[in-house]
Amino acid sequence: MSIWKKVALGSTAVLAAMSLAACSNGKSDSSSSSSSNQNTKLTLWVDTNQVSYYKKIASDFTKSHKNISVRVTQNPTGSANAKTDVGKDPSKAADVFEAPNDQLGQLADSGYINPLSPKDSNNIKSNYIDVAAKGVTWKGKIYAYPYAQQAQTIYYNKSKLSASDVKDWKTLTSKGVVATDFTNAYVMWPVFFSAGTKLYGDSGEDLKGSTFNSAKGVNALKWFAEQKNNKGVMQTSNALNQLKKGNAQAILDGPWNAANIKKILGKNFAVAKYPMIDVGGKNVQMQAFLGIEGFAVNAHTKSPKAASQLAAFITDKKSQLIAHKEAGQIPVLKEAVNDSVIKNDPVADAVIEMSKPGNSVLMPKLPQMSVFWNDVPPLINGAYDGKVKPDQYKAQLDKLAKHSSKK
Amino acid sequence: MFRKKKHAAPEATFKEVWSKGNIATKLSFFFMGSNALANKQWVKGIALLLAEVAFIAWFVFSGISAISMLSSLGPIKNKKVVYDNAQGVYITKQPSNSVLILLFGLLAIIICIAMVYLYIVNLRSTRKNYVLQRDGKHILTNKEELANLFDSRLHDTLMTFPIIGILCFTILPTIFMISMAFTNYNRQHPIAFSWTGFQAFGNVLSGDLSGTFFPVLGWTLVWAVAATATTFFFGVLLALLIESKGIKHKGFWRTIFVIVWAVPQFVSLLMMAQFLDYQGALNNILMNIGWISHPLHFIDSQASPLVARITVIIVNMWIGIPVSMLVSTAIIQNLPTDQIEAAKIDGANALQVFKSITFPQILFVMAPSLIQQFIGNINNFNVIFLLTGGAPMNNKYNGAGSTDLLVTWLYNLTFGQEQRYNASAVLGILIFIISAVFSLIAYRHTNAFKEG
Amino acid sequence: MKSYQNQKRLSLIFRYLLLIILAVAWILPIIWIILASFSYNDTGFVSTFWPDKFTFDNYIGIFTNSQYPLVSWIINTLIVSILSMIISTFLTISVAYVLSRLRFSFRKPFMQIALVLGMFPGFMSMIALYYILKGLNMLNLGGLLLVYVGGAGLGFYVAKGFFDTVPFSIDEAAEIDGATKWQIFMHVDLPLAKPMIVYTALTAFIGPWTDFIFSGIILSTSGNPKTYTIAYGLYNMVHNTKGNATAYFAEFVAGCVIIAIPITILFVFMQKFYVNGITAGAEKG
Repeated sequence: MSIWKKVALGSTAVLAAMSLAACSNGKSDSSSSSSSNQNTKLTLWVDTNQVSYYKKIASDFTKSHKNISVRVTQNPTGSANAKTDVGKDPSKAADVFEAPNDQLGQLADSGYINPLSPKDSNNIKSNYIDVAAKGVTWKGKIYAYPYAQQAQTIYYNKSKLSASDVKDWKTLTSKGVVATDFTNAYVMWPVFFSAGTKLYGDSGEDLKGSTFNSAKGVNALKWFAEQKNNKGVMQTSNALNQLKKGNAQAILDGPWNAANIKKILGKNFAVAKYPMIDVGGKNVQMQAFLGIEGFAVNAHTKSPKAASQLAAFITDKKSQLIAHKEAGQIPVLKEAVNDSVIKNDPVADAVIEMSKPGNSVLMPKLPQMSVFWNDVPPLINGAYDGKVKPDQYKAQLDKLAKHSSKK
Repeated sequence: MFRKKKHAAPEATFKEVWSKGNIATKLSFFFMGSNALANKQWVKGIALLLAEVAFIAWFVFSGISAISMLSSLGPIKNKKVVYDNAQGVYITKQPSNSVLILLFGLLAIIICIAMVYLYIVNLRSTRKNYVLQRDGKHILTNKEELANLFDSRLHDTLMTFPIIGILCFTILPTIFMISMAFTNYNRQHPIAFSWTGFQAFGNVLSGDLSGTFFPVLGWTLVWAVAATATTFFFGVLLALLIESKGIKHKGFWRTIFVIVWAVPQFVSLLMMAQFLDYQGALNNILMNIGWISHPLHFIDSQASPLVARITVIIVNMWIGIPVSMLVSTAIIQNLPTDQIEAAKIDGANALQVFKSITFPQILFVMAPSLIQQFIGNINNFNVIFLLTGGAPMNNKYNGAGSTDLLVTWLYNLTFGQEQRYNASAVLGILIFIISAVFSLIAYRHTNAFKEG
Repeated sequence: MKSYQNQKRLSLIFRYLLLIILAVAWILPIIWIILASFSYNDTGFVSTFWPDKFTFDNYIGIFTNSQYPLVSWIINTLIVSILSMIISTFLTISVAYVLSRLRFSFRKPFMQIALVLGMFPGFMSMIALYYILKGLNMLNLGGLLLVYVGGAGLGFYVAKGFFDTVPFSIDEAAEIDGATKWQIFMHVDLPLAKPMIVYTALTAFIGPWTDFIFSGIILSTSGNPKTYTIAYGLYNMVHNTKGNATAYFAEFVAGCVIIAIPITILFVFMQKFYVNGITAGAEKG
């Protein structure tokens, strides 16, 4: 008989289990007991390219809050994936982390983040631009400290196209080539808004409020199909490269790429709001999704108060202006928006113009957005390249409406 | 030489041990290791006794609750947001963490099973000592017991750590994964979830995922067959080509191909995706040579599913043929040549020799590893994930593209937008069943796994 | 006779031609990757075969980048892979030896369980693995090492096939001379298995250099790039933030080339052992 091995195996397993069990017990104890203010340690997750300047901002914070120390690190896979990064293990995620506003609904419903205190909420409602406050509100409560607004604009080479050329899609695409990506729902879906349909109602919180499965929605899909034969429209996964090669003279992109585009175009860099497009026989403004970037407080944090203070600090006027200077983020605090630096930035100017009602729509925050982001790209891309035939448009939109409004 | 150890009928029943044994022997039924200690087998005795003490302490303090929580996966199912007046902030009262409850519950069960096993081991050891004592034979001393670990019980010594590793890092996670398939662990229930029986299976097999599951399963099987067959067949041909008479610097030629295999896949495949892009280097080269006038859609989202699938299989050949070339080379070098000589004398041409002698022989030798390759290809994550990411998109599917395999779809369901952990666990189980069925049939037919 | 000679020569030319075409097709993308690492790039995409503008900046950039500490990654990976190589090789070879040479009651069940476990897709175990390591407070390189080593006992097939081909009579002779089984293992069979050990060790060594999935799951929560291994670090470079892919792509390619070189050399060196291992295992069938 093989007794020895079994003895060793058994006892090691038992010991391993004991240590595991001990760890788990110890953990639950510590989380319930430590709420004292002495030497609070906080972690802050930001995107990789933001780490350096948030470290500076955080060190300013610790100067005024002596008993708090802050560790700034990069988030695992980018703030665009905050939902999955935090969801993997909320208790290991940072106390304060960056998230785009469309994920707030799911983050809040899952219990990953805390709502803001009434005081901070009122501050945001009164001192921030309206769309920012609205963008971070979910079911009547504010869930994140907004610090930047993002909307796509058109970037073009001004030696090839004039400012008036880019005002209308028709002249734009007849005088030059615009490179874009029809597989990207974030870029392409807002054509449905231009066509006059709604996604999750006016509030973006109404599960049954979508109206895109209509004749107007079909018009939007038709518009995508028309672009296939438009010589001035280039489908590409690497618009920047095409812009650089001179194969395209304009691209649709967001402020996060502005620095890269400036590098490529140099003094020919120009930016403008989206052009007008012809959808369903009408000449309407091409719209964009408006995203609000914010910092949320992890519901698992051991010191919710300190975390809220940190989140408020790193989104104040000074920090928003630093974020603009370092990474081209467009502020959302009224005072910061009115700052001369912002006023003189053409990118900020175009984004702020795009953020006005009629030019863009706030990204809805419903958890069902995850279904939406999954289902839309194949549909738009299918309409564009003809895999989805015109006679299926209505049926496909109905299917999307049904799927994306399921509880 | 190594006589197969027969399980001889026990020389004494446990009943006899209990009724006729001395006090230490009787005590062994309650205090593990007492018999060993009485026989001065100190190490064994102390180990057993310690294990029992540790187990009981653990069981009382945390084992009972860990196991009892398993049935409900935690009492608190919903979070509660409350306002903390003292701090002036909202805090969230978290629901029970079902993942941890499930994990520790399963661990507790495994520990209990291990303990029962250990108890039986203890009894057997007691019985052995009892029989030796009864028959007046020499009872092994502490030293002899230890020495045995490196001789007749060497297998115990060498297998202990691997088995612990497998238990903790393979078996426990696998059981956890299987359990997950029977819960509602998903986007709607990310922290506290409950048992829901076969509901998730229903979603995959006949619910909203079935429209994706069956076509993706079909493509997965086609892919696995095509990928295995093409790399094998062309690998053999390439090996024959390099081994054929007159070719010099065989090592150099082989090395060229091996380089492709050596480059880490996340490098070669990610770059290959750009190489094959609509505006990528390959299209540029082909247009410059003048072979094509318009760029082709190979694997981008506008590509036709058929072209993309063929491209994926070809890229897989690029990566896979070098391996099978190497293996076939070794086999070809070792093949008995007399048969081939005889055939040549009989006037068979090269093709006939290949078809009826070389190829069947290689196939015979390679059969078991081909089956493993087939299973590996069913689970071939890298090629699809890094090369196409599932593209081209398919609007008939739910969360998958036309080139997605079950395993990449599983990954999307877990780490993508939708976070349907339970559904991906179901997929994992179904992939297992498919792999098991295919290997069972294959092993039966090739008869290669007699050893089993 | 002459026509036969001609035919033979023609066939040889034809075969050489075919071989050259294939070799070019195989090596072309690799050359392209190397060229791309030397090309100036600020768009995150390489659309030409020949770079428009050569530069060495990518290599300088990857070594001096403050956010992506390549040197730390290389050191981390080196440590993990060397430890994993030593431990895994010992475990794998022991298990293979035991299963091939010794007979005991749970031998068959073990092999059957190993076969069954191999059929579950490894991904699904990741969530559980993560929490197990978290419970042990080992969400770090040590935990990653445990994961790599933990499965070593299941990778015995090739080595077992090898041991099966070593004649039993050698062991018998040693046993008659009074050697214990441990002595036979250490002094008789292990020296014979040298090529197999080299193969197993190299495979275990290369693993951490190419794995970006498990390392990502385990290491990413720390948020500290200094603790990453190279595969995850590089992968993370271009899969993190919008805009990142554009800015760091060229450096990413340079980093890839840097790690691909030693691995490729190892592989070329290993091919002989690999072939011996595989065929020894397969011939048993």
